Amino acid sequence: MSLRQHIASGLRSLLRKEQVERELDEELRAYLEIAAEAKMKKGLSRDEALRAARVEMGSVDAVKEKVRHAGWESIVESFGQDLRYGLRRLRKSPGFTAVAVLILALGIGANTAIFSLINAMMLRALPVEQPKQLVQILFHGWGGTGSHTSYPDFEDFRDRNHALSGVSAVFWLNPPLLDARLEGQSEPISGQLVSGNFFPLLGVHPAAGRLLTPEEDRAGAGARVIVLSHAYWMRRFGGEASALGRSIILRQTPFTIIGVAPPEFKSVTPGYPPDLYVPFTTEAVFHQPRTWLDQRRYHWVQILGRLKPGVSLPQAQADLSVIYQQMLEGGTKPDWSNKDREEFLSQRIRLEPAANGFSDLRRRFSRPVFVLAGMVGLILLITCANIATMLLSRAITRQREFAVRRALGSGRARLVRQLLTENLMLGLAGGAAGLFLASWLSSFLALMVSLGQGHVQVDLRPDGWALVFTLVVSLLTTMLFGLAPAWRSTRMGVAAALKSTPGILGPALGHLRIGKVLVIAQVALCIVLLFGAGLFLRTLYNLEAINPGFNRQNVILFSVDPTTGGLKGHQVADLYHRMLERLHSMPLVRSASLSAVTPIWGGGMNTEVWVEGYTARPTEDVVVHVNWVSPGYFTTLQTPHLLGRDFGPEDTGRSLKVGIINQAMARYFFGHQNPIGKKFGWTEDGEKREFEIVGVVGDAKYMDMREEPPRTVYLNCFQDELGAMTFEVRTTIRPASLVSEIHHSMEAIRGTAQLSNFTTLEAQVDESLGHERLIAVLSGMFGGLALLLAMIGLYGLMAYAVAQRTNEIGIRMALGAQGVDVLRRVMGESSLLVLAGIAVGLPCALLGTRLVTSMLYGLGSTDPITIVGVIMLMAVVALLACCIPARRAIKVDPLVALRYE
Amino acid sequence: MTDKPSGLVQGTLDMLILKTLDLEPMHGYGIALRIEQISKGVFQVNPGSLFPAFRRLERAGFLKTEWRDTENNRRAKYYVLTERGRKELKSETREWGRQITAIARILETP
Repeated sequence: MSLRQHIASGLRSLLRKEQVERELDEELRAYLEIAAEAKMKKGLSRDEALRAARVEMGSVDAVKEKVRHAGWESIVESFGQDLRYGLRRLRKSPGFTAVAVLILALGIGANTAIFSLINAMMLRALPVEQPKQLVQILFHGWGGTGSHTSYPDFEDFRDRNHALSGVSAVFWLNPPLLDARLEGQSEPISGQLVSGNFFPLLGVHPAAGRLLTPEEDRAGAGARVIVLSHAYWMRRFGGEASALGRSIILRQTPFTIIGVAPPEFKSVTPGYPPDLYVPFTTEAVFHQPRTWLDQRRYHWVQILGRLKPGVSLPQAQADLSVIYQQMLEGGTKPDWSNKDREEFLSQRIRLEPAANGFSDLRRRFSRPVFVLAGMVGLILLITCANIATMLLSRAITRQREFAVRRALGSGRARLVRQLLTENLMLGLAGGAAGLFLASWLSSFLALMVSLGQGHVQVDLRPDGWALVFTLVVSLLTTMLFGLAPAWRSTRMGVAAALKSTPGILGPALGHLRIGKVLVIAQVALCIVLLFGAGLFLRTLYNLEAINPGFNRQNVILFSVDPTTGGLKGHQVADLYHRMLERLHSMPLVRSASLSAVTPIWGGGMNTEVWVEGYTARPTEDVVVHVNWVSPGYFTTLQTPHLLGRDFGPEDTGRSLKVGIINQAMARYFFGHQNPIGKKFGWTEDGEKREFEIVGVVGDAKYMDMREEPPRTVYLNCFQDELGAMTFEVRTTIRPASLVSEIHHSMEAIRGTAQLSNFTTLEAQVDESLGHERLIAVLSGMFGGLALLLAMIGLYGLMAYAVAQRTNEIGIRMALGAQGVDVLRRVMGESSLLVLAGIAVGLPCALLGTRLVTSMLYGLGSTDPITIVGVIMLMAVVALLACCIPARRAIKVDPLVALRYE
Repeated sequence: MTDKPSGLVQGTLDMLILKTLDLEPMHGYGIALRIEQISKGVFQVNPGSLFPAFRRLERAGFLKTEWRDTENNRRAKYYVLTERGRKELKSETREWGRQITAIARILETP
């Protein structure tokens, strides 16, 4: 009852505010009158009585204020007042408001964008049933950690475990492995081989038709059916139900569309959505001529499992580890030494939660992304320091206003609340602007991420979590960092503040001290960011500047797979010969060649070899990378020939099989001996293969730009069974302009073969540096942003300091100080701040960049050139920031300044 | 000018106001004057505490207000004790008595 009354009466005062106010006014007036009457009875005159009554009562407004505060409604009311008043104040100083909102927007926007990225790639759970139960198996061996294993291993895990309610195998199908045709046209799509229990395991329900069943995935009898992703269904079939029952030709084998996955289920590998799902046991269609399903040597299958209810991750890990150990025991050979056996058996598995899918993207990007997250975190700190500085100087200039308000009966808490309300408005405005900025930055980020290898697709639209994140960050920034300035600026006594002129009063110096600390902090943080950005930019530069062992300029690449058009054996070789001839006859083509693998493509083939005259220990790493190339490959890529000869027309299918090795291989296996004429080889599917070395070429990078060129053998592709190959065409002009011409000239001779994947070697190398570029560009942007913020902070403080000291400077100049002296003082002071910032920042930077040493290339984390560069950049920018305040200081006219007194 | 009535234990102002109004309805100044007179000037109540107390007590439903004319024909807001206010006064007086006795006992203990 009482509470209801409270609320009712409070609401009444809120809604009928004027009436309540009027009543209070009247009541107080009556009080005064009655009091005066009482005093008149004692013999005072009316005027005297009224005055005495007024003195007794004190400030009417103060009384009214206190009465208003007796009810809860006053808080709502005063909040409304504060809002209105704050809005007016902010509108009155549009410059301050604009700069503050902009700074907040930059700081918050950068953070929200990076948060969206982390959220999309690492935090968002798969839209499946009970995602927390999902696990993946990781394998730790001497070769590092991987998530791939062989199909027989997968079967062992599937059939023998006691901890998982279901296990599904997953494998990526991409062109050229996946050659898809629809209505006679080739389709550029990607797919996933999945076990029959894949969809039931996830608890995903179809958007149309039905999903794969375990019956369709029987060993040796995989049904030729496929499930489309929702995105592909919409893209290719416009969401028409008539798509069901139609056929897509995969590798010349028709597969029937039976259903569509739901729209929210994009992929179990975040960032890589497949267009279709194929039963795993149809694998032989794709791995021609021979299935991999019975091969324990090939590690290509990823495993997704679901924990049985009540089974914990460690329990399941223990269960699967036992199975894995037994598998390892079965894999040892009797002729191994004890040490080798031990090493082999020391391989381990680890179960990892897969609530947000396979961790490929997380593993690949986690480092760069967390580095970026750290950087935007620092930016946020700079933003906070900056905002605090601005609020502080603003609060000081408003000290008289606060003093007047306090004199009029306003409590200190009320003033602080007022200031915080203003901060709240700033924060929300900054947050909103930041969100806008983040959506723009996100699309840029998505672009940057997708430019890397594999064309990652990340959904970076801000979701609920991103909104919450932004809101929290904006409130923390403005409220937390606005509290101290608000508290300080309302502290001083009323009388002192009213008496003093703004500008020469004592407390302001105290504020300046905080301001100085904040500026030093900004410079220090800025140094850390700039240093990081410098290291990453130089890393990118180093990677782009290294000589990879081939010349990436002016080389067009395109792929052909004649076998999908039905050509066999020598027909394929004939076609390739004809195409090479035609290319060579083109006027702007310098040379052309063929290869199975192109440099820095990101994939390839390697194998363990034996080498004539070299005895390897059982577990010695005798793996070499292999490539099949045509004659002229080294000329086209401009990889130097060091010894022996190139492949030539004399090497045929019937002549001696020959190989060319690179310098790294020659050095490892032959030392200083001449390798020409020596033999090497390996066993493939039980068949012994042997090659004679006819030449040595220079080292070239194979998989990526960071690696040391690996030991590599090149085989003559015309001496082996030919499949899909890639052409390299060196042109004399910019390659892009020749693409259509090549297309055109191939038209007459290509027959059924399709030309695909046109690109340039340069683009391929650039693409492989996607991460490095992402980090370098973003950290460069963040460094620039930090620099800008620090500049604003320094400028703000110095401008404020000069304005505060107008009198002092005036007096000095009146007493004979020259402009130079004043300049020296102002510049000296700011230089001290910057130097202090550098002195604090540099050790932090050196400490921080130790964490990213492994991401650098060609320089250490204490790179002196970067250190010097960063310091110089900071110094120049700081100088610029102080120019205007310094100029203003020199221009102070002693007469004008003194007249202010 | 202190915010609190001189020497008044916090919370007792409300009780004194209720007590004053127990005799008859009265306007603000009258209440202040009455408290001062009865306490022989020991308690001086200023409007800065008086009016917020009125607002509080009214909110709590202990007081009603009505506009009446004073003996000098001036309109003033009169405060009237409600039934709830009377009950509150009783319970507060009882509580006050208990506390006073308790405190006195403590003070008298040698």
